[in-house]
Amino acid sequence: MVEKPDRYRVGEHPREAVEHEWEIFVREEERDPLRHVGSVSAPSADVAYEQATKLFAWYANDLWVCPARAVHRYTTDTLDDDAELVELGSGDEKRTHEP
Amino acid sequence: MISVSKLLCDLDAEGDGLRYDAADGSSKPQISRVKQRRPVVVWNLTKRCNLHCSHCYAAADTEVAPGELSTAEGKRLLDDLSDYGVPVVLFSGGEPLVRDDLFELIRYADDRGIRPVLSTNGTLITDESAERLRDAGLRYAGISVDGLPERNDEFRGKSGAFDAAVRGIRACLDAGLKTGLRYTITERNASDLRGVVELLRNEGVDRFCFYHLDYGGRGADITDLDLSPEAKRAAVKELCDLTRTYHRRGEEIETLLVGNYADAAYLIEYARRYIGSDAADRVHSYLRRNGGDPTGERVADVDYQGNVHLTQFWQGYSLGNVRDRPFSAIWDAESNPVLRRLRERTDHLTGRCADCRYQDICRGGSRLRALTVHDDLFAPDPQCYLRDEEIAPSSPPETSAD
Ligand code: SF4
Repeated sequence: MVEKPDRYRVGEHPREAVEHEWEIFVREEERDPLRHVGSVSAPSADVAYEQATKLFAWYANDLWVCPARAVHRYTTDTLDDDAELVELGSGDEKRTHEP
Repeated sequence: MISVSKLLCDLDAEGDGLRYDAADGSSKPQISRVKQRRPVVVWNLTKRCNLHCSHCYAAADTEVAPGELSTAEGKRLLDDLSDYGVPVVLFSGGEPLVRDDLFELIRYADDRGIRPVLSTNGTLITDESAERLRDAGLRYAGISVDGLPERNDEFRGKSGAFDAAVRGIRACLDAGLKTGLRYTITERNASDLRGVVELLRNEGVDRFCFYHLDYGGRGADITDLDLSPEAKRAAVKELCDLTRTYHRRGEEIETLLVGNYADAAYLIEYARRYIGSDAADRVHSYLRRNGGDPTGERVADVDYQGNVHLTQFWQGYSLGNVRDRPFSAIWDAESNPVLRRLRERTDHLTGRCADCRYQDICRGGSRLRALTVHDDLFAPDPQCYLRDEEIAPSSPPETSAD
């Protein structure tokens, strides 16, 4: 039996106050995973990259920007009115690929 | 926040414990007995506003903006803030009074042990709403006025805004609410400072908060409207003089400065020059306990869509969003390199801030202004108005602070 968390899909709320919102991911060293480090407001990906560079250039090896509206968030802890519990299987069904 | 009246005139206030760890010596009931460990949270309830001010950091609009946290979501946010130990929530906007559930949220915060305070343009406050705010548990209303009538109305984009704000102030005072002025000092209105204090003093206001311009939101377009460092110094000196004049007359007004911790250094220089070296030492010791610029530590901001920011002025960068992660977790996540480096900023400051003798009480002033003007998070604050000889690591000069 696999312990599974109750995870909710956060509603598709706009995240864009004045300009578009861009999620920022940085990789510190070449072998590190990308890490989410917040978001910036900017009219385009290039400007978002520029903004993020000012904040993280001294730190990051790689820097990715992603439109916030393209990110669907699933979380165990939300205060969102529109969040929906995502039903998972019971945990004891047969796996397609055994580890 | 730096209390000029506390530091120069020893006027006790209810923020002494919170700000200077000085609750025991204060004659006033205290917001907190111990210095705060958790941030004061500014919550921009809405982006809507009935005015259109040129310096608005929230770039507020007259239209409803999508994605506002609902009443229920707001209450869950307040639950998290309360469990985390947040001492104060500042309900702000936009204009928070455009939201019908403001009273309900204030009451909820109060019930959860958070001190609810309000930042408003005051123009929508009636006698009835002032009483409702008081009954809901509001502890303080800060009302924005940015100059004598003509100048204020020009700044706020609406004629009659000054008179409407004064009506709001009267309504709050009549309801028995502690009420104060919020005044953003710019090149346009610096000369009105004394006149506005006199005018509002006559209305019964006894708390005056002066904000330096920070460079977020609409304010970023008007960096050229900011005072030059020399003019800023003159304005702060005028406020110090004014505070002392009132106190000499026995009128105990509370005056505060917000948004430029070079003010802390200046107050020590001022005390040394005009009051004496003992006073300067006393001011310095209070300011050491205060801990300098609070960005990312003692102040936080949650915008109307739930994005968490380093301060209310820093809207262009968000640490995370409370709809997918609790505020407390976002604020504690020092895996975020910006948050971590800001918290240890004295190790990273460059230029004049790196060697400044007042670094421990200022901590480099505004990192947002440095970023906006120099594209560098740890460059010197462009609005530091201290003179080179004052900040030199050696002993203080004999003549300065003019
Ligand atoms: S030089 Fe930097 S640390 Fe010193 S008072 Fe000015 S802004 Fe503050």
